[in-house]
Amino acid sequence: MAANEDQNASDLELVRRIKRGDEQGFREMVDRYHARVYSLSYGVLRNAEDAEEATQDAFLTLYRKIDTFDESKKFFSWFYRVALNAAYSRARRRKPATMVSLDDYVPRLRDDGAAASEFTAFVDGAEDDVIARDLAEHAAGFIEELPQAYRDAIWMVDVEEMKPADVAEVLEISLAALKSRLHRARLFVRQRLLEAAAIQPPAGERRVAP
Amino acid sequence: MTHDHVSCKKLILEYLVEYEDGSMPETERKELEWHLEHCPPCLVFLKSYRATGRTLRMLKPREIPRNLADAVIGFVRARCAKKE
Repeated sequence: MAANEDQNASDLELVRRIKRGDEQGFREMVDRYHARVYSLSYGVLRNAEDAEEATQDAFLTLYRKIDTFDESKKFFSWFYRVALNAAYSRARRRKPATMVSLDDYVPRLRDDGAAASEFTAFVDGAEDDVIARDLAEHAAGFIEELPQAYRDAIWMVDVEEMKPADVAEVLEISLAALKSRLHRARLFVRQRLLEAAAIQPPAGERRVAP
Repeated sequence: MTHDHVSCKKLILEYLVEYEDGSMPETERKELEWHLEHCPPCLVFLKSYRATGRTLRMLKPREIPRNLADAVIGFVRARCAKKE
C-alpha cells in the first residue's frame, strides 16, 4: 500500500531523529502514536488507568530501545509489538482470567452438517443504534473471556480495524493462523451476543428514552 | 450444482473469513453465493456474523485521556533523568 509506505518512511525519519537525540522528534512520535497505543493497550487491559500506564511504559521502551530497531523493518510492527508486551506485562500482574473453551461456541449444525435456523433478535437488534450500543458493552465482556491470542486478533482487526496482514506481522504469526484465530474469536463473540440479544427487550421498547 | 456443493459446515467454519475479506477466488465465491441464495439458515448466519463485526467496531475507546501525550513525555523524562 502506498499510504502504508509513506507512513513508514515518515516514521523512519522520526526514528532517525530520535536516535540522534532530537527531543522534538520524540515529541512528534508521541503525538503520532499515543492514541493508537492507548487504544491497543485498552484492548488488552480493559481499564483506562492500566491502559494509560501501559502506554507510558511502551514509550519509555521506545525511547530506551530505539537503537535496537532494525530500520529495514516496518516501524509500526516493531512498536506495536513493544506496546503489546507492555500491556501483557501489566495484565500478568492481575488475576488470571477465566478461560473458556471456544469449541463450545461453534455454531449449531445439524448432524448432516447443515446450519440450524437461529433466532434473528441479534441481527435486528444490531440495526438499532440503542440496542447495538448495549450489545457492544456486552461484547467488551465477551472479548475478555477469550484466551489472549484470540483476544488480540479480534481486538486489532475488528475493533481497531487494522489490516489482517499488519496484525499478523505484529503478532509474528502467519496470515492463515491470524485468520483462523480471528474466525474462532468472532464465532465465540457472535454466539455470546446471540444469547445476550435473546434477553434484550424488543426494539420498540428500547427506543423509549429512560 | 446442488445445495450441498458448499456445505453449511464448510461455509461457516472454513470459507467465511476469506469470503468476507475479499480474498476468496472468483469460482469459489460464486459457489458460496449460490449456496447463500438457497440456504436461509446460512444467510441468517452470515447476517449475524456481519452484525458481530458492526457491534465490535462500536467498541473502540473513543475517549483518549486528556493530556495523555504530555503525561507520556513527563513519565519518560522523569524515568530517564533518574537513570542518568
